[in-house]
Amino acid sequence: MALGKGILIGHLVTIRRFLLTFTHDFKAGNFLKRRGGGDLPVDFYTRPKNQTTVYQDDKTEGIFTVEYPDERLPVYERLRVLPVLIYDNEDGNVRCTCCNICAKVCPPQCIWMSQAHSPEGKPVTLPEEYYIDMDVCMNCGMCSEYCPFDAIKMDHNFELSNYERHQTHIYSLQDLLVSSEFYAKTHPDAYASVEEVTERGKVSKKKDQRLQKALQLSRG
Amino acid sequence: MSVQSTARPEWTVVIDPVLQKELEQHIFVTSWPKLLEMVDTIYNWGRRSSLWPLGFGLACCAIEMICSACSRFDISRFGAEVFRGSPRQADVMIVSGTVTKTMMPMIARLYDQMPEPKYVISMGACANGGGPFKEGYNVVSGVDKYLPVDVYIPGCPPSPQALLNGLIALQKKIDGESLADAVWYKPEVERDIPVPVLGPDLIDVRFLEITAEKTAQGLLDKSQAAMPKPLIIPAPQPEKPAVEESSAAPAVVSAADRLRAKMSGAIAPAAAALVSEEAKPAAKPAAPAKKIKKAEARPTLVWLGHEKLKTLSDRLNEKFGAGSSTIIDAGLLVPSEKLREVSKFLKTDSSTRYDYLASLQSVHYQDCIEVNYHLDSTSNPGTVIMLRVRLAEAEGQASVPSVTDIWPGADFQEREVFDMMGVKFTNHPNLTRILMWEGYGYYPLRKDFLEPYYEGPTKVFDSRVEKGHGNHFRAEELNPYGTNMKIPQNFTDWDSLSALDDVKGKNLMPGGVQISELDTDQFVVSMGPQHPSTHGVFRMNLRVDGETVVGLKPVMGYMHRNHEKIGERNTYLMNFPFTDRLDYLTSMGNNFGYALAVEQLMGDDTKVPERAEYIRVIMAELTRVASHMWAIGFFLNDIGAFFTPALYAIEERELILDLFEWASGSRMMCNYFRFGGVAFDLPKGWKERCHRFVYDRLDGKIDELDRFLSANEIMLDRCKGVGALTAEQAIAFSTAGPVLRASGVNYDIRRAAPYSIYDRFDFNVVVGKSGDLYDRYYVRLMEMRESVKILKQAIRDLPEGPILPGKKTYQIKVPAGEAYSRVENPKGELGFYVVSDGSPTAYRYHIRSPSFINLTALETMCVGATVADVVGILGSLDIVLGEVDR
Repeated sequence: MALGKGILIGHLVTIRRFLLTFTHDFKAGNFLKRRGGGDLPVDFYTRPKNQTTVYQDDKTEGIFTVEYPDERLPVYERLRVLPVLIYDNEDGNVRCTCCNICAKVCPPQCIWMSQAHSPEGKPVTLPEEYYIDMDVCMNCGMCSEYCPFDAIKMDHNFELSNYERHQTHIYSLQDLLVSSEFYAKTHPDAYASVEEVTERGKVSKKKDQRLQKALQLSRG
Repeated sequence: MSVQSTARPEWTVVIDPVLQKELEQHIFVTSWPKLLEMVDTIYNWGRRSSLWPLGFGLACCAIEMICSACSRFDISRFGAEVFRGSPRQADVMIVSGTVTKTMMPMIARLYDQMPEPKYVISMGACANGGGPFKEGYNVVSGVDKYLPVDVYIPGCPPSPQALLNGLIALQKKIDGESLADAVWYKPEVERDIPVPVLGPDLIDVRFLEITAEKTAQGLLDKSQAAMPKPLIIPAPQPEKPAVEESSAAPAVVSAADRLRAKMSGAIAPAAAALVSEEAKPAAKPAAPAKKIKKAEARPTLVWLGHEKLKTLSDRLNEKFGAGSSTIIDAGLLVPSEKLREVSKFLKTDSSTRYDYLASLQSVHYQDCIEVNYHLDSTSNPGTVIMLRVRLAEAEGQASVPSVTDIWPGADFQEREVFDMMGVKFTNHPNLTRILMWEGYGYYPLRKDFLEPYYEGPTKVFDSRVEKGHGNHFRAEELNPYGTNMKIPQNFTDWDSLSALDDVKGKNLMPGGVQISELDTDQFVVSMGPQHPSTHGVFRMNLRVDGETVVGLKPVMGYMHRNHEKIGERNTYLMNFPFTDRLDYLTSMGNNFGYALAVEQLMGDDTKVPERAEYIRVIMAELTRVASHMWAIGFFLNDIGAFFTPALYAIEERELILDLFEWASGSRMMCNYFRFGGVAFDLPKGWKERCHRFVYDRLDGKIDELDRFLSANEIMLDRCKGVGALTAEQAIAFSTAGPVLRASGVNYDIRRAAPYSIYDRFDFNVVVGKSGDLYDRYYVRLMEMRESVKILKQAIRDLPEGPILPGKKTYQIKVPAGEAYSRVENPKGELGFYVVSDGSPTAYRYHIRSPSFINLTALETMCVGATVADVVGILGSLDIVLGEVDR
């Protein structure tokens, strides 16, 4: 056809896209009310009361924007941001045994650790110090992937912006610790996986044995 | 007379004192500061709601920054969508990515040109403090070494949501500011940054004297002299005839010793020792030492084959005299004086026709520097051979004739070898440093070069575990300069350093040709490294006559983050996340290439399970679709269709990234492949969603893009016949991927040298005709369709089963040998050349990057075009600077 047909067809594509934005709102019964706005029928100014998670998949057409911070994308369980160390809720034990594997697989070598010692000077299977320099960490998740004790995991919190780095960006043991309860909440599938359940079973059995031994000793 | 109060009654109403106080505090303007506060509120509101960022991206984080300005995250909701190309119109600089030394002077200049008030957001680990590339010799340990940073966003890379979070943090900071103490209204406060100088290293002129003093003392050299050095091994020698079998055992012992020596960081026993041991065999025949396994000798997976190579070698010896070709580990050792004759023969002889120089790299051995050439033939693909040339080992002594006139694609690769190893290529048209700058003090890939932050020959560093006693430190603290700097002790020429000296571009001024159409002077334009349409920190020196380009020289290295040097210290496993950051749009594809290289060395130890093979192909093809979507979107941007096509294309990319994030844990830096398989199995529901996405959505979206763009008259006008590359040129310049195929060359690694399970799928290799911009665009579009075809088959056939051949382990045992893997990445042939000495660390790790080598053809394509076309031509090459500069 004549010159300009290509451009016209192109315009039709954009118009279709534009209209799709609204048809989907209409279909969802929202009229002009958009995601991310307030509760009134036409309301772009007030903030929604709750943060909503927007799921987008192969069906998504029309508006594509996720209005962070009022809306968010779903957090996938495997999302890797920064590593955290886990302590068990029941007894407060830090799971890390200071086996150094995380430091050995860390590609940019951002993990420093040293083993704790008992008052007699014997090494104990606990970390004395543990640091992660998050200005070097590349969020690769190798540490959590190869940790044999499920002690180090990748956190999901990405909202870490701050105004200073020299005092705050090296995380010590205290900064890194989170509870196993928190971990179970953020990583439900992994927490319920066969590997982690068996690992937890092994650890609790060991703890139990140690407890029994101690009890026997105390009973004399 | 009593004075009657004239005050009206309501004026005299006594207010509750508490209310009065409240009012005075918050409502009434009772003092200057109060007034100022009110003004401040409005002033700050206005400023924070219209932050105009500088359209300026450095590395991987820039992609996330662009995403945050695109359809899904839409930074314009914060009034910050106006990305300005000029610093003079911008008020926030988002330092997104690795700050290299080569780029730092430019960043300082850009910052100085921004008008007050100006803010700096440091995005990502690299900009914050050096990040994973901190140990590299060309990386600045945090942009705050030079610029005052307002907000730090941790993460590698921070997702677009994290960037928006940082933007909100900056808005909060602005809200807290006051006109009364705004530094930018105080004339006595000097906020400009003195531009650092590229001398023997990046030198901060504020500390020039102290730097000179410390250099004269040679503190760093002294401290590094005591450190264990990287191991340096002798080059492989021709195999002895089988008769000498008894001598093999002691040689093995010495190899094990070498390994042990490497572990303890000592220099290996010299080759002479090895020979002397060989001289007295049978002395200890049954050595109990661990035997270093040797990998099968082959240049790459699909190659000529041992017998044919023998025949070829014999023919060469016959033709050019004995000794002109010796087979060493399935490579032909050619004396450097005969290299040109042999090369010409290999290229032109009808029986071989090695017209495609796939890759050129160098290895520093104890006794020589080896430059090796991987050659393939486009008329008979998959017959790869490797040439080796061995040169003097001493620094600056090695010299070899250039082959740029035989294979023009060798141009940049030879310059890279010169830059990194100090090998001189005689008769090279422009042998200058390509990644580092002229005047840099060292040849960084030589094994005897220790970087400023050198801590040990191989990872793991002792200080991290037992010997560190838990004392953490930043690498700066170990360096006497307190920053990533190393200057040769004999450097004294401090007065000659000048920030105005353009050391990167000085030697790359295009000569150009005289054209007589216009009676005007020609002039040189430097386009980049900060330019919105150079796809990163890439720079072109253009010589223009009017609007016509008469000469062009690419200037690169502004993002050289020392991938290879770091990769030679990493264990094999550690390199995976680093490969993600090569071409950060195709991390899965990079993983694939690297995994294949090491799997080639490991041989049958890593038989990839079926399921893992299918997952790998699915991921690689999804990557191709995502990358081509991005390429098409931004190509259209470059030719003037500003952002609408890009926004549409990026939607699909985002949905693919969702799938990646779900399976691997990260949108961009997937780090998903492992040797022999993949890191995790697919999560529950992944396959179904991917199935729906591929079967129900992708085809329609590609059709839409096709309808939207392919017949558009403006697009046709801008693209047809522009930047054309003939098939011969495309092959000669060693271009790869869509660029090569658009010129009509049917060469796709997936078909030419099938890897993984690509031989099982039914797909076509898309080939263009004219090699112009339009064909490159259209080849990409059609390739997406072919990818969808492969995806459909792969998802359909995806079997159940294990994803790794054995137990997951971080201790990778790689036999000694060398391997070159080739994968068809979206940008072209991605190659990983790995030399292993049997230790946990690669001895040499080189990346044949398609983006880098495709640029060789840029000048030819651009000369004669207009400046506006140059932008389009560059866009059609689809370069990613992380891969160009590595």
